[in-house]
Amino acid sequence: MNGTGKKYKENKIKNSSDDTAVAVKSVTKRYRIHHEKIPSLKQTILKLKRTTYEEFLALDDVSFSIKHGETCGIIGPNGSGKSTLLKMLAKIIQPTSGEIIVNGPLSALLELGAGFHPDLTGRENIYINAAILGMKRKDVDRKLNDIIGFSELERFIDMPVKNYSSGMYMRLGFSVAINVNPDILLVDEVLAVGDQSFQAKCYKVIYNFMKSGKTIIIVSHDLETISDLCSKVIFLKDGKIIDIGKPLDIVSKYRAYIEKLEKKRIVEQQRTERKKIFKTVIEGNRKVVDGEEISRLSNLSIDGETINRFGSGDAEITSIGLFNKSERVIDYCSYGDEVKIVCKVLFKENVEEPIFGIRMADYRGNIVYGTNSRLRNVRTGLFKKGDKATVSFFFKVILIGGEYSVSFAVGYNDNKTYCDWINNMFSINVMHRNIAEGIADLDSEMIIEKK
Amino acid sequence: MIKNFRTLFSYRELLFSLTRKELKVKYRGSALGFLWSLLNPILTMLVYSFVFSIVLRAGIQEFAIFLICVLLPFNFLSNSVNYGTGSIIGNSNLVNKIYFPREIIPLSIVLANLFNFLLELAALFIVLGILRYPFYIYLYLLPVVIFIQFFLVVGMTLLVSALNVFFRDLQHLITIIMMVWFFGTPVIYPLSMVPEKYQFIIKINPMTIYTAYYRNIFYFVKYPDGAGFPSVSETLIAIGITLLIFFVGYFVFKKLEPRFAEEI
Repeated sequence: MNGTGKKYKENKIKNSSDDTAVAVKSVTKRYRIHHEKIPSLKQTILKLKRTTYEEFLALDDVSFSIKHGETCGIIGPNGSGKSTLLKMLAKIIQPTSGEIIVNGPLSALLELGAGFHPDLTGRENIYINAAILGMKRKDVDRKLNDIIGFSELERFIDMPVKNYSSGMYMRLGFSVAINVNPDILLVDEVLAVGDQSFQAKCYKVIYNFMKSGKTIIIVSHDLETISDLCSKVIFLKDGKIIDIGKPLDIVSKYRAYIEKLEKKRIVEQQRTERKKIFKTVIEGNRKVVDGEEISRLSNLSIDGETINRFGSGDAEITSIGLFNKSERVIDYCSYGDEVKIVCKVLFKENVEEPIFGIRMADYRGNIVYGTNSRLRNVRTGLFKKGDKATVSFFFKVILIGGEYSVSFAVGYNDNKTYCDWINNMFSINVMHRNIAEGIADLDSEMIIEKK
Repeated sequence: MIKNFRTLFSYRELLFSLTRKELKVKYRGSALGFLWSLLNPILTMLVYSFVFSIVLRAGIQEFAIFLICVLLPFNFLSNSVNYGTGSIIGNSNLVNKIYFPREIIPLSIVLANLFNFLLELAALFIVLGILRYPFYIYLYLLPVVIFIQFFLVVGMTLLVSALNVFFRDLQHLITIIMMVWFFGTPVIYPLSMVPEKYQFIIKINPMTIYTAYYRNIFYFVKYPDGAGFPSVSETLIAIGITLLIFFVGYFVFKKLEPRFAEEI
C-alpha cells in the first residue's frame, strides 16, 4: 500500500453516527506535463535522467464535504479541475496531498459503456460492463430484463455493439450504470443521453435516486440541470473553489463569470480588428481613414473594458458616478429604477458653448443609448478657465439585465473636436427579472388565446 | 499485500468476466474459432518437425511430441507476456474511467492464456493416448509444475505491462526478448545438446527446469534413455528465481499503478 490508504479512505459500511458521505480535505493535485510526451526507454537509458517536465496545478487546496442524501453539482469553466476532482473521488487518480474520505459504496459514471467491446453483443457487454462497475453476476442475472427493458434495445440486444448507433451505445451504458445502485453516485456529463423521451427517463431515475436518499455528485455544463437537481453547488475555477452554496446563487455567479469572459473575448477580438484597420491606413501611406473604416472603427471604439481617452485637454472629466433617487452611490440597479449619472468636469481653458454627451453600450459594443446637449438644443454658454461643471443625466432603467459601459465626452461647439472623451469610464450592472432577452425591455404584455 | 489480495479477491467476478471476454473476443468472427488455438501449435510443430527431423536430421525420435510438450507451456508464457505488455495502455478507456485493481487487466490475460494452455494439454493427452505414451506415470507432477510456472508468467506479465506504460519502447523490445528466451530454453533442442560449460547459464533460466519436467512427464516416459528429472537444488533455484520475478513484478506494478491513469 503505497500511501493509498493514507490519501484515500473508503469505509464500505455506512457509518450511521456520521452523516458525511464525502469529505475532501485540502486536496491538491499536481500533474506533470512532460515536454516530450512519453520518455522512451532509449532516452531514459541514454540520458540517465527523466525528461524535463512542468508541473501543472490541477487542484489547489480544495476542501469541502457532502452529506448523505445531498445532490451536489460542480460547475466551472473547462480546465478548472472538475474532472480531476471527480476522478480522485472515484479513486482513479490519487491526490498529490490531502485526504479524501468516502463513506459508503461509490459508483462513478464518468463514461457510459466503459469497457464495451465492439465485437461482443449487447447482452455480453452488459455482463462485462456491470462487472466493471462492481456488480455481481447473480445480480446482473436478476436485473438483466430491467436493464434491457430500460435501454429499449430488446430487438438489438444480441447484436454486436459495433453495429449500434452512438445513441444506442449510450443508452445501454446508462441502463447498466443506473442498475448498479450505489450509495454515492458520481456523474460526469452523462445525462445528455439519447432522445428527449429517453432523457426524461434518465432524469426520472436520477430523481428517484435522490428521493431514496442517495448522494449524487454531478459535473455538468448544463446549468439548468444543475439548478434543477442540486441542493448544493460548487464553483471551481483554476483548481480553486470560488464559492459553495445554494444552486441559484452559485449558478448566477458562474453565469456572470462566463459573461465577463465572453466580453473579454470580444474586446480582444475588437482590439485586433482595430489594429488591422490602422495598419492598412499606415501601410497605405494615407493620412485619412475612409468613411467605411470610420464606421467600423466607431463600432469598435466602444469596447467593454478598455478605457481610452482622447481630446485637447481644455476640459477634464474629473469624475463620473451612478446615483439612486436618494443620492446614494450605487454600482448596480434594477429594471424600473430611476437613477442618474453624475459627471464632473473641470475647465482648464475658456470654452464657448461646450457640448456634453453620454453614451451607453452593451458588452458587445452596441450603442444602447446616447444623447448630448447639442441634440437636445441646450445652450451651455461660456465656461471660463477654472470653472467646474456638474452634468447629471436622469433616466429610468428599461434595460435587459447585464452590464453596460458608459462613455462621457465634452466637445467643442463645432461638434467635431473634443476637449475630453473617455470611453467606457465605468459600467452599470442591471438586474432584471428574466422574462425577456435583447437590450431593452419594452414591457410587453403577452396574451395567448386558445380557440 | 494481504490487503491487496483481499481487494483482488473481492473483484474476482470482474477478473473472470474480463477473462471470459478475452477468450470470447479472441475467436469471435473467425470461422474456426477455438480450433485456432489448437491449429497454431500444430502448425508450428509441423514446421519445426520438418526442419529438425528431415532437413537437419537431429536424430530425435518422434520430434513432434518432443517439441510440442514443451512448446505449449512456453507459449503460455510468451503469449501472456506478449499480449500483456500493451494491456494497460490498450484498456486506457477503463483505466481512465473506472476504479478497480489494475492488476486484473494483465491477470485476465494470463488466465485466458492458461485456459488455452489447459485445453491444448487436453488435446495433447488425446494424441499421446493414441500414440500409446504412458503419460499417466508422472501426471501427478503436472499440476505442480503448471502451478509454479503460473507464478513466473504472472510476475513477468505484471512487470512488463506496468513498465510499458512508462516506456513504450518495451512493446517492440519484448518480442525480441521473448525470442531470445525461446532459444535460450531447451524447446527445440534437448538440454543434453547444450555444451557442459553453458549448462550453468541455461539452467539459471527457470523455464529450462520447467521444460525438463514437462519433457520428462510427457516425452521421456516412452524414451527413458534420455530421462532424468532436474535435481532438487536445481528445482529449488528455479522456484526461487520464479518467486523473485513474481514479487518484483508485483511490487513494481503496485508502485507504478497509482500513476497509470495520468500517464496513459
